[in-house]
Amino acid sequence: MILRVVVLLYVGALVGLPLVFVFQQALIHGLGTFFRALGDHQMDTAMILTAKVALIAVPLNVLFGVGVSLWIVRHPSWLTRAIDTLIDIPLAISPIIIGLVLELAYAQNGWFGSGLAALGWHVMFSLPGIVMASIFVSLPLVSRQVIPLLREMGNHQEQTAATLGAGPVRIFCTITMRSITWATAYGVSLTLARVIGEYGAVLIISGNIALVTQTLTLNIGANFDNFNDYQGFVGAALLALASIVLLLILGVARHRERKRHDYLA
Amino acid sequence: MTISLNGVTKYFGRDLVLDDVSDDVPQGSLTALLGPSGSGKSTLLRIIAGLEPLNSGHIELGGRDVTNVAVRDRRIGFCFQDYAPFRQLSVFDNVAYGLKVQRVPKAQLRREVDDLLSLVRLEAFANRYPRQLSGGQRQRMALARALAIKPEVLLLDEPFAALDAQVRGELRSWVRELQHELGITTILVTHDQIEAMEIADRLVILNEGRIEQVGTPDTVYDKPANDFVQGFLGPMTVLNGVACRPHDIELCDVGLGIDARVTDVVRLGFEVRVVVQTSSGESSWVQLTHAEAQRRSPFIGEHVSLRVRTTADLFR
Amino acid sequence: MPVLALSTELSKPTEQPPRKWRLFGGARGAARVVRVAGKSLAVTYLSLLVLIPIAALATNAFSKGLGSFWDAATQRESIDALRLTLLCALAASLLNAVAGLATAWVLVRDRFAGQGILNAIVDLPFALPTVVAGVTFYTLYGPLSPFHVNITGSWIGITVAIMFVTLPFTVRSVQPVLESLTFNAESAAATLGASPVRVFRTITLPALAPALLTGTGLAFARAVGEYGSVVFISNNLPYRSQVASSYIYSLATSGQTNSAASVAVVLLVLALALLVAFSYVSRRIARARG
Repeated sequence: MILRVVVLLYVGALVGLPLVFVFQQALIHGLGTFFRALGDHQMDTAMILTAKVALIAVPLNVLFGVGVSLWIVRHPSWLTRAIDTLIDIPLAISPIIIGLVLELAYAQNGWFGSGLAALGWHVMFSLPGIVMASIFVSLPLVSRQVIPLLREMGNHQEQTAATLGAGPVRIFCTITMRSITWATAYGVSLTLARVIGEYGAVLIISGNIALVTQTLTLNIGANFDNFNDYQGFVGAALLALASIVLLLILGVARHRERKRHDYLA
Repeated sequence: MTISLNGVTKYFGRDLVLDDVSDDVPQGSLTALLGPSGSGKSTLLRIIAGLEPLNSGHIELGGRDVTNVAVRDRRIGFCFQDYAPFRQLSVFDNVAYGLKVQRVPKAQLRREVDDLLSLVRLEAFANRYPRQLSGGQRQRMALARALAIKPEVLLLDEPFAALDAQVRGELRSWVRELQHELGITTILVTHDQIEAMEIADRLVILNEGRIEQVGTPDTVYDKPANDFVQGFLGPMTVLNGVACRPHDIELCDVGLGIDARVTDVVRLGFEVRVVVQTSSGESSWVQLTHAEAQRRSPFIGEHVSLRVRTTADLFR
Repeated sequence: MPVLALSTELSKPTEQPPRKWRLFGGARGAARVVRVAGKSLAVTYLSLLVLIPIAALATNAFSKGLGSFWDAATQRESIDALRLTLLCALAASLLNAVAGLATAWVLVRDRFAGQGILNAIVDLPFALPTVVAGVTFYTLYGPLSPFHVNITGSWIGITVAIMFVTLPFTVRSVQPVLESLTFNAESAAATLGASPVRVFRTITLPALAPALLTGTGLAFARAVGEYGSVVFISNNLPYRSQVASSYIYSLATSGQTNSAASVAVVLLVLALALLVAFSYVSRRIARARG
């Protein structure tokens, strides 16, 4: 009972209060001002860029995550064991370092920069760089959800389906994907959250050029640096809203996944 | 120590799981709580231990009302169905746990634990961890752990359920001997009627939260109080509309009993089941001993005659 | 792709001609091509995005010799930043080990209205962009704080920001283990006379220890590299409130790429070593119990 109160106070103060505060600040001048602030050109351009990045980076990482999970679990070898370890590295690296390593490899004076530049491809201060940074930071989020599930599931169901005459595509769609749907959904929401919310890695690689390479998170940061706190909070409120939606999806995914688990047990 | 239950009643939510259960367990007895799953037998055991609160009624241990006494102050030895080993502790430390709680001096603790380990024949395993033990060994460890606090009541929840058939048989007779030797009032929960009759000197038969019958294995088997008890304690069949035990039916010469035709013969090694259909179309079965079956060698399609053995037949 | 392999193995007809005769022919050949192509793509993806850039970092850090690496890493500003980062990360993850254990406990063992909301809100730091958290904490507890609490420019502010970011790690690693724990071992200890506190200390806590360690390790690794949520509240004062990530950023953006790479290597090695150490210990404990 006392513990319950302490925990509620702790989580409330650390997480709940800031969340409420973001919306309070964004609406402090009333709804009218808020809606007018939504039309801010720089912010809208940044929002569109963030959406573009997410649309490219998230599907790529989901594809990679599901594929590599199947590979690691179903065809283990020395190579998959290495990948299994390496894939977690992004979780332990500071986003600033992630930005820095990409710069060192792909900037004009980096390892491949001049070669790519000759082909007309610029990674630094442009969309490809931002996408790469986003992929890097969120790389393991899908596979970390899917791998344990595949391990636990085994392949008896798939073998049964095969004995019943199902082809590979049918097996994948009706058995494999069906079992990992919610775990994948959970991973996708985490990936999306991370991609939309990335700051440090994108800050270095994009150069933070307003109206060109400024994502929504960078735009919020820039507004605060320029003492334009209100506009910053409007952007922050939008992102907070997005994260609440993601949170709901996360909750549903977790719930469904647990239900499936109970059913199996 | 005697255990007395007075009107023990327990609800889970709105479900009545124990309905006014009363019983007096005599000092030094080995009582089996026997019933199908969902009969409330495990719940009753947990209530006696204090692991579960009850809605009404009260419980006395050796004449002392313990209804509101916390688990840890009841001094009851309890063995869980999964043995609940303390996985991070060695076998020695598992057994020593209760003694450490009582702050028993080190030398004495060592001595007592060693004694217990040799009692359950696990001396050689003192430094192993539970995961390195077999099911039977874990069971014995759990028993030693429970006995360490010198309980005056021992409660065993389905103690042999998780073991394979051979180990189960050995452990049963070992537990029975141990109980006789120590003289601790013991209650064990089981759903296996053969196990209950083999090990216990008193059976309490539970069904849907109520006691159906209490008595020695012989009384309960030979004089079942009702159809449920009769059906639960052993295989039943119907001959000429009357319920009876298949081993009480004998095959006799044609014309002396009820005419029937053999439809199947199932050999189970020590016994042979002869499935028959009587002339009235009723399906029944007869249990023959191996020797009887060899003598008669029944075959499918054979015309036989059946009658229920009377006590007089046994002395013929 | 592995699924394809499975079905080809199972449905292998005996009268088929040997595989080399029908290279790329038929569904089986196509499946093989897809599988190999998939694996190659995955390896390329991982190499191009993660491995090669990290290799570039390492070579850059040592490109002017060990001496220059050492000088950059042991600059007073660098040492101070690294020390501050480690101390704040340690403080935050230890606090969250305790708070996270308590939160998981309340979520699993307690029942009350609004529990679902608590359960959902614990994930918020995973979903909320760090920069939003950063600016919010700055406004809540900065010079314009409505509560008149100013923790900017000090280790306290940094620690609070990190506490926010790392809250879910411990909770989410302890929670499932706590859920799967039956009460039997705890009940057994109680029948042996142990008090609730003793039961928790000797039975429950050891059972949760591996998960608690893993969660704390993940939180620590994340904390060491945290930037977005920290940078606003820290004020970035060199020697005083500049975390390692900020220092690397300032080096990288002022043209001192080699120094930035050197400090980055140190931070990277620290974070990876911590993560490996935590998971090694937790795995050893888990394995010892079977």
